[in-house]
Amino acid sequence: MNDRYLLYAGCLIPTRLPFLERSSRFVLDKLEIEYEPFPDATCCVEPIGLRSLGYDTWLAVTARLLSIAEEDEKSILSLCNGCFMSLKEAEHLLRDDELRSRINEVIGPTGREYHGRAMVRHFLEVVGEQGEKRIRSLVSVPQERLKLALHPGCHLVRPSEVLRAEGRYTPQRLSEIASWTDAKVVDNEDWPQCCGGGLAGVEDAISLAILNESTARFKGSGANAILTPCPFCFVQFDIRQKEGLPALYLAELLSLSFGASAEEIGLKYHRTKFSI
Amino acid sequence: MRKSLAAESADEIIQDRLAQVELWRCHQCGQCTAVCPSGRHGGIRVREVLERAATGNLDVAFDRDIWLCTMCNSCSERCQLGADPALVITLLRGSAAAKGNRPQHFLEEAKLFFSTGLSFPCTGMTKKLRKELKLPDLQMDERTLEEVKVIISRTRLGRIKYE
Repeated sequence: MNDRYLLYAGCLIPTRLPFLERSSRFVLDKLEIEYEPFPDATCCVEPIGLRSLGYDTWLAVTARLLSIAEEDEKSILSLCNGCFMSLKEAEHLLRDDELRSRINEVIGPTGREYHGRAMVRHFLEVVGEQGEKRIRSLVSVPQERLKLALHPGCHLVRPSEVLRAEGRYTPQRLSEIASWTDAKVVDNEDWPQCCGGGLAGVEDAISLAILNESTARFKGSGANAILTPCPFCFVQFDIRQKEGLPALYLAELLSLSFGASAEEIGLKYHRTKFSI
Repeated sequence: MRKSLAAESADEIIQDRLAQVELWRCHQCGQCTAVCPSGRHGGIRVREVLERAATGNLDVAFDRDIWLCTMCNSCSERCQLGADPALVITLLRGSAAAKGNRPQHFLEEAKLFFSTGLSFPCTGMTKKLRKELKLPDLQMDERTLEEVKVIISRTRLGRIKYE
């Protein structure tokens, strides 16, 4: 396995939620995981709107990104479910020699060529495989006051035959990592639910109805915060919930556990204030 | 205007993918609709979309249902017959967009992507927050942007009418 990484933060995190990039870097540094920022990164052609407008654009843009990582001989480390799915699904399809050669023809004028050897990983996978012992050894501030409702997010797990971040029908990784910080998991979704984010700005009433369906259950579970590894879901919970539970991004939970101050990881930038 | 070879090749990729979609696999069982988060709140009726697509009764120039999908992939995950509704919807959306049927929200996103290489705007607030958090400035170099524009111009996003 290639354990040197190019940190691919995507679009949403670096532009609107840079505090999530800060906490992610904090965690990777603590774990002494070697990474550098992805050079010449662009949007992955996000898989909800853009990809459906230009399916071939998606394959070509991702082929360019995959070729950069391949040339650097580093794995792509994604901080976002959407980027993870977009890049990993493209990587999966571009294993096909014929399709890859046709996409290479499209990206030819850029001077890039993809040979089908890139690896795409999610932050949650990379942290999870560090294992309980190692994570616990770094926890200096146990989070037992937290009662978490978990929201893994769709594009961490579906399509499961491609993403394979979890080898199980019901995702457990997020729950395991949370428990290593001594946080209590009070609600885990059997079937990872949609946050409604895909319709935000397109059909807001339906988007909110989907969001409320999840959050109503979270509140009933006695949770005092929501945990998610996806910045898109995070935005739904943090900004679009009205008087809802605060949301924590996975890297934020780990940063706090590893002794980061709320100040240094920018918790004050949450719209739904986190003060537990 | 004559299409470039690359444009034809890229279009073929979509055509091939469409050919791989096997709508006949759909037996109208309704599992897709049962797991759809949008459908139960008055959004897309997935089973019905597949039926209309299979029987030629879906006009992509006007269909609204296809834009009410959140792309959560639950339908494709649950479909035991391999009809892959989420892919069907993705490809139908592409055909719809080519005929001018697309939400303004996604059109704006495509414009932003074309002009900046990102799908969210880098604003003054972005700069301020990154500075406060001691993160490097977000800068797209000219060459990267040029490469993306070349790719877009040779594929479908480059042929969307942006007016």
